[in-house]
Amino acid sequence: MASFHPHHPPEDCINCEHRHLRVFCNLTPEALRDYDGIGIMMSHARGAKLFSEGDAARNVFVICYGQVKISSTSRDGKTMILKIAGPGDVMGLSAVLANVPHEVTAEAIEPCQVKTVRKQEFVDFLGRHGIASMHAAQSLSGEYLTVFHDAKRLALSGSAAGRLARLLLDWGHAAANGKPEIRFTMALTHEEIANMAGTSRETVTRLLNQFRRDQWITIKGSSMTIAKPEQLERLTA
Amino acid sequence: MTQPEARFGRMAAVQAHPLAELMQCPPGAAGLLNGAAQCICVDAGETVFRQSAVCRGLYVVVSGQFLRRTERLDTRLTLGLARAGDLLELAAVLGDGTHTYTLIAQTTGSVLILPLQALNQAFEVYPPLRMRLLEELAREVSRSYDASCQNRIPKARRRSSDGRAAQGGGSASADLSASLT
Repeated sequence: MASFHPHHPPEDCINCEHRHLRVFCNLTPEALRDYDGIGIMMSHARGAKLFSEGDAARNVFVICYGQVKISSTSRDGKTMILKIAGPGDVMGLSAVLANVPHEVTAEAIEPCQVKTVRKQEFVDFLGRHGIASMHAAQSLSGEYLTVFHDAKRLALSGSAAGRLARLLLDWGHAAANGKPEIRFTMALTHEEIANMAGTSRETVTRLLNQFRRDQWITIKGSSMTIAKPEQLERLTA
Repeated sequence: MTQPEARFGRMAAVQAHPLAELMQCPPGAAGLLNGAAQCICVDAGETVFRQSAVCRGLYVVVSGQFLRRTERLDTRLTLGLARAGDLLELAAVLGDGTHTYTLIAQTTGSVLILPLQALNQAFEVYPPLRMRLLEELAREVSRSYDASCQNRIPKARRRSSDGRAAQGGGSASADLSASLT
């Protein structure tokens, strides 16, 4: 969940300096020109719903900056957070390609900019450029792995501390993007983190306080830094 | 439409498509795939591929029954079964090229491998094939979203080093079914 707030959000895809860091947008010059010409760039306020579970999938959404909460509803009506999507993530791709309504709800958890491309326009674009369909396949594969890892994290981590540590490490590594400092913006409430880690809000609060006291993490406002990733890693084992 | 009805309708729409329909290609691409395909026969209990290993290609179950299993340290999670006609590891083939789970034969059986290199050549010769597999992967992602929500917090049980279910376990099998198919 790399959170990125550029001072000057990219106005178009061609001049986006972060393109090379992202799976889908890192296209050949020819495909990029074509991609730049389709869809529209939209800004969303915190709390805005980009689409809801059950809605007809009419668009594909590519996050340029900001974070979006992806959630779904269980059979007993509980809302479950599946992932926090960040810059470069493609949303609505599986529903568009499978030609079914959205399986999930996407809600901005901070101000974000999203490139929105109409379904047919996007499918035609993939048909025109092999590299784009290859990148779409990688994005989709990433989406599959996210769901898979989410289930695995919940089922295979023995303790709540282990599951929370795994979550923090996953977010930290995604945001660090290879940089030594593991820092990210925590835009979720403790309740929402508890939902993702399969534990209670009280346990998340207690564990975060404990991690902080042990100086494994530092928290300043909504910014969290993982100071001792090896200690968190040990918890997940 | 009620929520269960909507979910049922969505699940019906994302059913896996028949293999013959997915892999239908003109003679050039079909020849490439047929020429490169390899058949592997396995006995019950044999591992076909392991989680995190490099994926050799797309696997098609020809006969027998296989178990899809993921593991971490001493805990195992059974994801579901694979039977004749099932296409396996689309996400690995189209994505990062590493196996997402371990496939173990439950009975004597055989699988066909369509090697990655031949597939990539076939994609170049006949681009709609990639698009068709992409759509199939999209259906698989859609199904896994649903399965993930229905089985949000399965009760994991640990195995002790001698293979017996640790305290808290009850049934004979130490696996748990997450049915993330």
